[in-house]
Amino acid sequence: MNTERRLMTHLFHKTLRAGLPWLLALTICSAQTPTKSAKTAAAGKTAPKSYPPELVQKGRALFRQECSFCHGREAGGGETGPDLTRSDLVAKDVNGNLIGPLVRNGRPDKGMPHFDRSDEQIASLVAFIHTQRNDSLAAGGRRGNGGRKGVDVADLQTGSVEAGKQYFEGAGGCAKCHSATGDLAGIASRYKGLKLEEQMLYPNDPKSRLTVTLPSGQTITGTLAYRDEFTVALTDSAGWYRSWRASDVQYKIDAPVNAHVEQFSKYTDADIHNLMAYLQTLH
Amino acid sequence: MSSAAMGTIILLASCCSLIYAQGADEQMLLHPPGDSWPIYHGDYSARRHSRLTQITTQNVKGLSLAWAFQTNQAAAIKSSPLLVDGIIYFSVPDNVWAVDARSGHQIWHYNSPTTEGEHIGNRGVAIYKDSVFFLAPDAHLVSLNAKDGTSRWKVQVADVKKGYWTSMAPLVVGKHVIIGVSGDFDNLSGYLRSVDPETGATQWQWDSTPPAGTPNQTTGGMTWMTGTYDPDLNLIYWGTGNPTPVLNGSTRPGDDLYTCSIVALNADTGKLAWAFQPSPHDTHDWDAVETPVLVDGNFRGEPKKMLMQTSRNGYFFVLDRTNGKSLLTVPFGPVNWTLGVDDKGQPIPNPAKEPAPDGRLIAPDEGGMTNFRSPSFDPINALFIVDAHPSWSLYFAKPADGVYGWAGADYDVWGKGTIEAIDYQTGKIRWSHELGDESGAGVLTTDSGLTFTGDSTGNFLALDSSDGKTLWHAGSGAHIVSSPISYEVDGRQYLLTSSGSVMFAWALPEGGISIEERATAKSGH
Repeated sequence: MNTERRLMTHLFHKTLRAGLPWLLALTICSAQTPTKSAKTAAAGKTAPKSYPPELVQKGRALFRQECSFCHGREAGGGETGPDLTRSDLVAKDVNGNLIGPLVRNGRPDKGMPHFDRSDEQIASLVAFIHTQRNDSLAAGGRRGNGGRKGVDVADLQTGSVEAGKQYFEGAGGCAKCHSATGDLAGIASRYKGLKLEEQMLYPNDPKSRLTVTLPSGQTITGTLAYRDEFTVALTDSAGWYRSWRASDVQYKIDAPVNAHVEQFSKYTDADIHNLMAYLQTLH
Repeated sequence: MSSAAMGTIILLASCCSLIYAQGADEQMLLHPPGDSWPIYHGDYSARRHSRLTQITTQNVKGLSLAWAFQTNQAAAIKSSPLLVDGIIYFSVPDNVWAVDARSGHQIWHYNSPTTEGEHIGNRGVAIYKDSVFFLAPDAHLVSLNAKDGTSRWKVQVADVKKGYWTSMAPLVVGKHVIIGVSGDFDNLSGYLRSVDPETGATQWQWDSTPPAGTPNQTTGGMTWMTGTYDPDLNLIYWGTGNPTPVLNGSTRPGDDLYTCSIVALNADTGKLAWAFQPSPHDTHDWDAVETPVLVDGNFRGEPKKMLMQTSRNGYFFVLDRTNGKSLLTVPFGPVNWTLGVDDKGQPIPNPAKEPAPDGRLIAPDEGGMTNFRSPSFDPINALFIVDAHPSWSLYFAKPADGVYGWAGADYDVWGKGTIEAIDYQTGKIRWSHELGDESGAGVLTTDSGLTFTGDSTGNFLALDSSDGKTLWHAGSGAHIVSSPISYEVDGRQYLLTSSGSVMFAWALPEGGISIEERATAKSGH
């Protein structure tokens, strides 16, 4: 019986990440010609682009029909789907170069389906999403009725740094695996606000270790790449993916991230706010 | 014409009507034979338990693909298919297919694109005589000719411009087509409406909440999923959705009736007989619309007509369905949002776990401890088997978020999928089967001791109902977002499953079924 308790993200996720640069290269961009480079746009040196009202309207209607259940009618987040007006990907997107492929491929590992849409339809969605984001920024983050709202950095400052440090080093058990001056040095520069709190509770894309013992007795170890009931796989030290039928081998999974899962039932909400206060001091 | 000749003609006519397909009449809906699946749930009880025994724990390892039907479009199949007279009917938004259950070939395809209403999914169609009833996303009920898929009529059942849309599988009870509505982004009142199957005219409507705008009262209570029916009591049982505004309860103090409720209504009039509330004053979007399964059996030594629901909020409820009284209330996974259970058997929400400006860690997540995937009641092992999602999340709400629609934000932190087999008399989990990072598929059990479901990476699974061990699997290549069904055609038992946009039919290989096995393939209810 295996020792780990959580499955790794699906291999498809890794494949999609590897393939994204190629997808970007192959993207058919919208009819609009970019007026500035993506780099300067991301750096905020350009005024927010404005889109023709008819295109935004078409995008609004299509968004309402296909996207609004998860992302909210105003793209501010709905059932399960993220707030697109605060999305890093949308912030970096120029004329649909990122949004287009994402709509067409979906995010299967995160539960987003793919949508077969024409270039014109993608362009209208891009126009709507960017308009929503721009309007949201202009309104200081406040948005119209109905949509899910966001969490600002200022919302998360209700804890005590000292209590958080004590929890980190004591009852929280964090210091068993983490170090404020080691792996967590600079964490507050890498993540802010809600993203820091989410990472703190359960890190994104954690790495686990798979050790496989073949019938011959030989053991092979590597980073867990895939696991379901029938197949286990790792990425070996040379970077190759190797898999086995689970029934053919003995295997052990070492998943330190499980300590995060075990902590959920032990936290009080005050513990979480205090821990946030402490981690935000680690620049 | 002589009377003898007339008599012969009448006799021949009645024989022919027994031989040839007629669609599903009231008798078939009340007593579905083994060669049919005429209701979303299979039958009115929603136990989703097949009496067919050709596929057994011994031979299921040989189950193989009989045929696949490719819909050739992007939407995933979330509908539970119907099977009547050798024809399968299923749907995605804007589309209904009729497929030959023997060959997997298309008979007809109805496709009427609509541009209004959320196109998030469609749970299936209903059939009555030769009409197929389908809810379009833009809140219209469509009556199709079951023989060729042409539209007979279309009636509006909700106002999509106000924020309603429709996605559920209607339920036909007697001469009533009962439909429910969706729509959480506005402060709207949910309802059930009964419609005439011939004309589409409204027969009755039951409203979940007081009218929108009533001071200090809630809206919401959307009727997202299909209910169940007890013909002896003539009661339909339905779950209602969460209140609106969703994450902020300040404008709707009190229990917020009848949101997050299980209600029993008279099937002919829509009058409320009783109500039970799985989540009084909900602030976590936990609809109580999960299937209210009807089971007749012993509860701790006494015969009871029961209703069982594994609810989104993490609690397993067993009720006496004659009067709504609680028999058992117990969590079926981690929950941290209550102060306990009151003397009515209803959870007491903890005010300290309502969404807050700096966030609250909540178990389960917004999607809930279970969601739309159908559970199954296995009478052989006395188990309620459900696709469960132990999970944790963060919930936020602040005054600036307002009091309309979502009115806050929630974020999933972690979750996993597990099939849980619950002893219905105690709530103890007798066995569980891990599925992976996410939810798996709905559950179907059979008289031969099999549990059919799927894991979170697209593997269809056959488990031993007594201990949850895997006996067969097949990788489907896409997420499974539906519940399996089983039926018999030509003396052969089929399992029908879907993943992504493809329907798969499984059976034992042709040569592998003995004459004895064919003869003993059970039919009947």
